[in-house]
Amino acid sequence: MSSTQPQDKAEPSQQPQQQQQKSSVLEEDDEFEDFPVEDWPQEETEQGATANGTDAHLWEESWDDDDAAEDFSKQLK
Amino acid sequence: MATPTLDQFFASVADIVKSRDGVKLQDFLQIEPPLPDIYRQMTNELRQHYPSGPREGDLLRRCEGLVPKFKGSSWTAFSTFMKLYFTFLRDVNVDNLLETYDLLKTLVNQCVLALGDSQMGVIVLPTVLYLSKVLAKLAMGLDRRPELIAHLLRLDGRSNQDETAEKVTLVEKSANVVREAFIKCLTDRSGTPGIHGKPEGKRIGIYLMANLCLKLLFQCGKLRNAEQMFASISAQSPPLKYFPASQRVTYLYYLGRYLFANNLFYPAQIALQASYDQCHRQALSQKRAILTYLIPCNIILGRFPTLQLLQRPEAEGLGDKFIPICRLIARGDYIAFREHLAVGSTQTEWFARKGILLPLRTRCEILVWRSLARKVFIHGGFHGDSQGQSRGPPPFLYLSKLEIAIQWIQSQHTASAQQAYGFFAPRPELDAQAGNNRVGSQIVYKQLDWDFEGVNELDAQEALPGPSLIAKYADYLAPDGYFDAQGQWQANSAGNMVDGQPSADYKQFELDPYASRPDLEPEDGKPTLMMREIESILASLLTQGLMRGYLTHKNPRLAIPGARLRGALPTGFPNVWQTIYSRESEDDNVPGWVQPPVAAAIPSAGGGRVVNLSGARPVGVQ
Repeated sequence: MSSTQPQDKAEPSQQPQQQQQKSSVLEEDDEFEDFPVEDWPQEETEQGATANGTDAHLWEESWDDDDAAEDFSKQLK
Repeated sequence: MATPTLDQFFASVADIVKSRDGVKLQDFLQIEPPLPDIYRQMTNELRQHYPSGPREGDLLRRCEGLVPKFKGSSWTAFSTFMKLYFTFLRDVNVDNLLETYDLLKTLVNQCVLALGDSQMGVIVLPTVLYLSKVLAKLAMGLDRRPELIAHLLRLDGRSNQDETAEKVTLVEKSANVVREAFIKCLTDRSGTPGIHGKPEGKRIGIYLMANLCLKLLFQCGKLRNAEQMFASISAQSPPLKYFPASQRVTYLYYLGRYLFANNLFYPAQIALQASYDQCHRQALSQKRAILTYLIPCNIILGRFPTLQLLQRPEAEGLGDKFIPICRLIARGDYIAFREHLAVGSTQTEWFARKGILLPLRTRCEILVWRSLARKVFIHGGFHGDSQGQSRGPPPFLYLSKLEIAIQWIQSQHTASAQQAYGFFAPRPELDAQAGNNRVGSQIVYKQLDWDFEGVNELDAQEALPGPSLIAKYADYLAPDGYFDAQGQWQANSAGNMVDGQPSADYKQFELDPYASRPDLEPEDGKPTLMMREIESILASLLTQGLMRGYLTHKNPRLAIPGARLRGALPTGFPNVWQTIYSRESEDDNVPGWVQPPVAAAIPSAGGGRVVNLSGARPVGVQ
């Protein structure tokens, strides 16, 4: 078929090279790996590990920047 | 010649089927190299005694003997599957991955058919899963090696002429096979089906199959095909909590990503957070994958990751990626924010690859504007009577101050772009020049459409009228004909230039029916283009509840009434996450996540909650 036709060769042989380079970057950690064990109790989870600590502070709700010194402030006077 | 190994294998499989031991059956039906010696012996015997051709009928008859006959019906799909398994062993040539893929796909298809049997099907469930996983691995491997499937792509593409025809990749084809298995698991009618059921029979495979199918659909970028799966699960699956942790965590991860991709950030956040919470604490790779979506999801909802989270081992490197975005949001410099998340830069490649670049860019900019408005209010707003006693005007901000701040930001970025020099100088920040736009947005730079190219900008060197010029002034510049110096009519059928200079500005000769152009020339007291835009941005913030107050159009102001108790700043600029949370948490239902039925749902006054099932269709209907 067409794969044996020499005139087709130039393009396809270049393309895979480019795409291979790209795919090596792609493979980094894009897949969600299978777990080695099927089930585990809650004590072994992230939640269980910090169970005594509802003090696990993961998300910051107050992030407003109240810095008094702002470069543009003098422009506003 | 005898076939001792094959005979033994047949006998063992027959016993396994009789004892309905699905796990052992899967253990017997190995296909992945390196195979133990016994499989090589069996392959040799198959090649000698059952070569391709008429003798395959004998092989099928032997396979039919594997199935116990009961009540007149026999499990013919399984016999056919076993025959295909043997011919697979006999014919497979793993040096040719594409051929291997085709053989394997046929085998999995047949195994799924065998799974469909209401009595016996469950026995092949572990085998279906095992074979599907090998098929998925192979398809994804081939997907990464386009040189091996280049001829296929050419055949499918029909020399690339029909670009509109959707190409079905090997990965997608595999996903379709796995989905068939998923449907067989979900629609098992034995025991109690649905939300009141437990994972029993084939239903134990629902999430195993769904997760594999979702993995393939995400890989080939066909997320839309997952919608039907989630709807089917919502309608027919037992609650997720009855399934093993690995399946729950994986499913919630994919569900969260699906919801994220559909801009349903709040339910996505619930699913991803649950996935993270239930994940095994040593599964760093998985936890990192979850965080990759959980963090941007929270940022969009107005919650930033804390150092405590970012210092965890699974978050290594994620802080470097997300902290700058959080800082820019709080800083309020919208040009720096846009530049940081510019499409096509090397820093943003990671975000683009993960599919979070555009959501972050488009969904967080409004938070940047809130920060800017807030800062300008702090420094330039009227904060109300500090005594809180008198009945003075409510706190307010003249929007002209915001306009000044925006112009200042634009000037800062223009200056910094001019200072940069050399090969690696950043490209000029175009948005910084948007304030010079004569029409349209003052905040988003847009290249002029060539259709509206100014007459002045035509290249005078080339005395050729541009297409836009001809379209407008052809009757003057290139008429059908003209009278020459002798007074003779000369036809000009070629449409050549007859008179005039293409470089001249003809606009001034045009009749303009409008005496004045209020949209172009700001008059005294009339809002500028930028002011109009500021008003619309603030109006958007107000309607989303991210700011509170009202706008006055004449003498443009943002007023913040009702601020006496809590103060102007907390009243006018409420906490983003709490605002979104109080709005969204009214409905904590996550589509696609089946929860256990609420015990004894006594209809309360008002009839209880109505579950809208209009989106749920029967399984298998596309």
